[in-house]
Order: sequence, then C-alpha cells, then structure tokens
Amino acid sequence: MFVTKQIESEHKDLIHDVSFDFYGKRMASCSSDQSVKVWDLGEDGEWKCTATWKTHSGSVFRVTWAHPEFGQVLATCSFDRQAAVWEESFGDVGREGVKSNWIKKSILVDSRTAVTDVKFAPKHLGLQLAICCSDGMVRIYECPDVMNISQWSLQHDIQTKFKCSCLSWNSSRMHPPMIAVGSDDNNPSGGGKCQVFEYNDSTRKWTKVETIVAVTDPVHDVAFAPNLGRSYHLLAIASKELKIISLTPLGRDSVIGNQSVVSRFEMKQVASFTDHESPVWRVSWNVTGTVLSSSGDDGCVRLWKANYLGRWKGISILKGDASQTRQDRNFSANPSQNPAGAVSQQSNEELVRMNIKRNSGWPSFNTKKDQGKTYY
Amino acid sequence: KLHFITAGRLFDDLMKEEQPESKTTYWDTIFRLVLQGQIEKACRLLSLHSARQTDDFQTLINLLKRMPQLSNVYKGSSVAEFDMKWRHWRDECQRNYEEQKFSINPNLETVVRILCGEDAVFSEVKDCCDPWYHMLISKALYQDPTVKACDLHYYIQGCQDAYRSTTRLGELDSILLSALESDVYQVIKDSRTVFSNGWFVAHLTDLLHHCGQLDSHRLQFGSDLQREFLLLEYAGSLMSHHSLWIVGVSYLDHCAEFGRKYLELYLDHIPLDSEKKANKILKICEDRNMTEQAKSICKVMGMRCIRNKRLGAALTWFLRSKDVGFATVLAEKYLLEYSESGEFTNLDLIDYLGPSMLLSNRLTFLGKYREFHKLYSEGEYHAAGDLLLALLQARLAPKQFWITLLIDALPLLEKTELIFSSQQTRELMKCLEELTTEYKLGKKRDGLGFTEARKDQLDVLKLALSRNLPKAILQEGTVNLL
Repeated sequence: MFVTKQIESEHKDLIHDVSFDFYGKRMASCSSDQSVKVWDLGEDGEWKCTATWKTHSGSVFRVTWAHPEFGQVLATCSFDRQAAVWEESFGDVGREGVKSNWIKKSILVDSRTAVTDVKFAPKHLGLQLAICCSDGMVRIYECPDVMNISQWSLQHDIQTKFKCSCLSWNSSRMHPPMIAVGSDDNNPSGGGKCQVFEYNDSTRKWTKVETIVAVTDPVHDVAFAPNLGRSYHLLAIASKELKIISLTPLGRDSVIGNQSVVSRFEMKQVASFTDHESPVWRVSWNVTGTVLSSSGDDGCVRLWKANYLGRWKGISILKGDASQTRQDRNFSANPSQNPAGAVSQQSNEELVRMNIKRNSGWPSFNTKKDQGKTYY
Repeated sequence: KLHFITAGRLFDDLMKEEQPESKTTYWDTIFRLVLQGQIEKACRLLSLHSARQTDDFQTLINLLKRMPQLSNVYKGSSVAEFDMKWRHWRDECQRNYEEQKFSINPNLETVVRILCGEDAVFSEVKDCCDPWYHMLISKALYQDPTVKACDLHYYIQGCQDAYRSTTRLGELDSILLSALESDVYQVIKDSRTVFSNGWFVAHLTDLLHHCGQLDSHRLQFGSDLQREFLLLEYAGSLMSHHSLWIVGVSYLDHCAEFGRKYLELYLDHIPLDSEKKANKILKICEDRNMTEQAKSICKVMGMRCIRNKRLGAALTWFLRSKDVGFATVLAEKYLLEYSESGEFTNLDLIDYLGPSMLLSNRLTFLGKYREFHKLYSEGEYHAAGDLLLALLQARLAPKQFWITLLIDALPLLEKTELIFSSQQTRELMKCLEELTTEYKLGKKRDGLGFTEARKDQLDVLKLALSRNLPKAILQEGTVNLL
C-alpha cells in the first residue's frame, strides 16, 4: 500500500537519475536541463530542495553519492563527455534555512564520448570511482587524500569492446574488487551484454572474468546485491526482462606462461521475470540484499523477495498514476533498512515523479502499512 | 472471557440497574454468559429477576449451580470421572426440560436447552456467540466438554455453516482453522502473508522452535534456519524505525547464523542524527567487537565536525576510534592555525590529551608544544627550554615548524638569566644551520625561501645564539673553577 503525494521538482527537462544518500535522508536528482537538485528529508517527513545548480554543459545522466565517511560528496556524469565530483560546503550557520553550496572539486575529462554511468567504489577500497562511456571504456579514478578531494588520478582503464550503459561495484569485502558492466547495444550478434571484471592484486590489473551470455538484449541497469556473508554474489540485470544471476567463485585458474591468475565463477540464473512485460529500466537492492526492486516501461515498480529456500517471487507492485503515459525509467532504492525507493518517471509533461515506498512495521496491531509517496 | 467482553460489559451494566429484567438486554446477557460458561454471573442475574422465587427459576438456578466444573479435574478426579458427573448432570437437565417445567418462560427454556446441549438452540442464539469459533467453544462446552483437540473438526463445519450466510471466511479464520488442525506450517505460512508485520510469526516460530515442535525433516535447511529467516525479516522491519531499531538489534543478536553480518550492515546504515544516537550505536558496536563499524561511525561524525569547522569535536571522534591518519591531519590543522594566528583554539582539548597523544606523532608534538607554552607562561624557563630542545632533537616537529620553534627560543635567549647551556646552544645552532641550508637548497629548486621578515628574524636568532654561547661557556667555566 502506498500513499501518493505530489511535489513539484521544477526540473525543466527529463530527469535521468535519482539517487539516495547512504542513510536515505538526502536525495539527488539530475536532469537533461543540465542541473542537479539536492533534496533533504525534513523533520516533518517532507522533502525540501536545498540546492540546485548547473553541473554540465549537456544532459546529466547519472548522479551518485559517496559514502558519508568521505563527507558530503556527489559525482555526476554527462553527455558532455565529462564526469564531475562535487562537495558540499556550508553557508552561514545561524541563519534561517542553512543554504548549502556545492562546489566542483574535480572534473574528469579523459572520455572521448558521453559518459553513461558513474559509481563510487565500496568504502573499503578508499575513495575511488568508476565511469563508463559509450565508446566502451571504463575508467577508474582514485583520490588519495580524503581531506582534499580535488586531486583525482586515473588508475586504470578497461576496454570493454562494447557500448557501455551502466556499471555496478560489488561491495563485498571478502572478495577482490569486482565490477559488472552492462551494454545497451541493440546489435543482437554482439554476444553477452553484460561483463564482469575483477581486479587482480598480483598483476594490478582489471581483467574480464565472465561474460554473461544469457543476456543478449540491451541492458539498462546492473546492480550487485550487498553481500551478507553469502558465498556467492547476486547480480540483478535490467534488460528486456529482469534477471537475477548468481556468481559463485570457484577458485582460481592459474595459467602458466603469462602467469595470470583468473578467478572462475559458476553462473546460474536464479530468476527471470517478465512481469513488467516491457523493458526493465532500473534495478536496485535494499540494504541487506534481500529485496530487489525493479522499474519498467509498464509504469510499475515491482518488489521481489526470496524465501528462505532461495526462490524469488514478486511481493509487491507499486503502480503509478495510470492517467499519464510514462516510462518508469529511473529508480534507486533507499539504502536504508526499509525497502524504499525513489522513482523518477519521465513523462510527456516533464514532471518528476518520485515514489517512495516504506515498509514500516513495528509491533502494534494497528500497524501503518507500507507507505509510499509519489512526488510530482 | 478475554476475547469476548460484550457479555461481561452487559452484565456490569445490568448489575447497576434496579430492575434488570426490564432491560431488553437482560435475557441476551444471560444467554451470553451461559454460552461462555460464566455460570456464577448468570446465576446472579437470574436471582435478581422478580420472578425468581418461582419454581422454574429455582430449578434453573439449581441446575446451573450444580454444573460440574472442569477446573476440579486436576485436584484429584480424573477426566473420566468428570465425564460421568457431567453426563449425570446433563441427563438431569434433559429430564427437567422434558418435564416441561420451563414451558411458561421461553427464555428459561432456551437456557435449559443450551445446558442440554441441544443443537438447534445454538442456531437460535447464534447472534450471541458470533463468530464461529465462539460457537464452537460453546457447543463443545455443552455437548462434549472433554472433547479432544483432534476431534474438534467435527463441530467446526456445523458452526461455520451457521454463520455462512452472514459472514465470509476471512484470512484470520483460515489461520485459526489451520491452527485447530495443528497444521503448524500452514499457520506460519499464512501468518506471514496475512499479518502486515512480522512480530507474530517471528515469535511463534521462535517458540515452536524452542519447544522442538518444528520438525526439521520437513524443512530442507532445518527448523533453525526458518526461524532465523523470519526473525531476520522482523528485525529488518524494526531497524527502519527511528527508535525501535535498538529492539531490532537484540533480535538480530539471537540469529546465530546471519545475525552478526546483518547487524553490521544495519548499524552502518542507521542515520547518525545526533551525537547521542551515534554514541548509542558506538556502544552497541563496542559491546560486540564490531571495530570496523565503530571506526566508520567515528569517521563519519568526525568528518561532519570538520565540515562544521569544529576541530575540537572532530579530534575527539578520531581519538575515540584511534584513527591515526585523521588525528595526524587534524593535528596539522591545529599547528597551521597556530602559525597563522599565533593562537591555539580548543586549548582544553589539547591540554588534556593525556595518553591518547601518543596516537600520532603530530599529535604528540602538538601536545608537547602546548606544554612548552604552558611552562613558559608559568615562568619555568629552564624546563621550557629543555622541552624545546628535546622537541627539536627528537625530530618530532615537522620541518616547516622548526622556524616557529626556533623563533620561540628567541625570548628565552634574550633573558638575562642563562637558560640554555653551551651544549644546548650548540644544538640550537646546529638546527638552525640545518634549516637554513635546506631552505637554501630548496630555494634553488622551487623558488621557495624565507620571507624578508623571516630572514630578519633568523638573523636576530643567529645573533642571539652567538651571544648566548660565550655567556654560557663563561658561566659554566666559572662554576667549574669554583
């Protein structure tokens, strides 16, 4: 059950991405109008826009938050072939409504084509981020000094040989760093549209460990589930259908000669859902990796959960307002404990619609059932 | 009695009346009370009736009082004995009814019919024992009080039929059905989907698990895993609540397999709204040896303080998590502040650093340097001088700070009283030399050098040092002579 509410986002163009911060109390949205807006959840439960500024000279495709250990830091990437890192600085405290300013700390200009995704690495890897571009390059940058985030240096670049559309870091600490990259290339003969890369400590290089051949349709989003002591990784892929793939590390192959040690994985398709009956655009996991949410062109956000035997099935459907044609494109799950998500939907009227669903159950029999809010 | 309180309420209302029988609810209440087996109250109500002295009333009251109660069964008499007694009693009710003693008052007749356990009468009074499980119990009470749980299902259908026209079977009803049939798994499964929060199902499964009632053959992964799964689910729903998350923590503590991992992750994600909350979470982490999370929380809080320019508070956080890197960074910030403004902020913090000073070299230096200032202001010049030299010699100070230190030595040198011995003076001169040479070299490389003001200061220092040296030698020599 969810409750809808409308709030004007005042973005002047299509919204491409919405992202919650680590605690789920702040939100950032970015749009084709080249600006980014930051929203804060107030004491009254209302989202207020506390900052809006022009970030790039082209449509901003993605916005993402860094872990709060590094402060209040955002990264954006755009059609103008650049990615930028922003940090919040506080205005005068003591005045009503502390306005915050976001300062551009660094621009990453190495790409020759539009940058389609930017994601920060898990915090145990330090302050790093990865960007992927439509020419197939994935670049990883690092900032060695957390107190001065203007200095970013390119650490690695990976040639993926396909047009990248999305990437996701594996947040597991127990395994070497891993990234999944998806492609929205329409060409069906191009092979598997999702590749997994792993960082090899001994060669200090990122190498491709798997291509997920089961996925041959254009991939719009990939997301690793947070790994909670499981021996396998779960990867959700949003393409024509929603797929969940499990990757179990099988130990390492060593190839004598060029002395490379490659991890091998057993890949299994754990679930595949066509409930959206239309392209699935975004996928997002909750904090514990137990609930997956997906959004699709049918205007719905669906939640999926596994029972204790590991079988996945849908548990909930959040329908939008059926009166407008829309495509549920952008979705990011609130990383807090509740399965909550913000969905921004592009519709013809260029409104932002953000749908936040919260599962709050505490021990009283007059429970407030799942609440969700839709913002216009 | 606990669930169906209408009867009790009505009874209380009636007891307040002078003439209860005039109320329309009078007989209704009596029926309800009898159906619930609350004989004593029913008797009392009947005794208030004006016609109570009549034969039929008296007979009824007698019968009611003599109804055998099951509560005595544990005191000695066995179930069979009770059964016999009850049958006797029921036969007597039957006899009385057939003798038409109650034909005058149809209400009394109804009561007796209930006592006899006649089927038809229950449909007549079904409004008084809504819903179906109430009727189930009432029927069982008067038709077969010693009925076993497994035989209950004979009665269920009849009761449900009686209500079928008026109400639909809800989800709660189907769960109850499964419970009556002792189908544990069905109960668990349905409860999970029906009830919006997992409290009931989590606790139920937990209890069943501890009683050993959950047969682990039926579940592939053992009953413990299912219990844990449900507990995790419930705890997860609690963690999102702004104050109940602590309760969630204790639930997670009882999940042997995944609890700790889940807890670590959840603790990370709890918004640190206030220092108090952060401290609470830290305590939880420390109790469970979750050093990783504790460090992370301290880092986040520390960063927040730095952004708000509260260096002192930030330092406290980093000291707490023993974060060497950040402590160093902050110490340097302090030193920078000093060299720029000539003053220290947060003096209290630095003064009372204590053993945590040793966390990082910079921090130690900061603490000692502050000590130097204190000694100086207290007039302990010798001690101050010794400390200053020790700082330089131990190379605790960063090179950039040497100038400041040496300049600090200036007032000590200019005192009429001799502070530095010749040995110490030579040390100072050596340091100065080292510094200037390095800077001269540096100048060639990157154009950095001393500012004019600095150069002048250094010249004065050189002068002071060279004046001190002979003074020192003289004094030492003099002493020796003596």
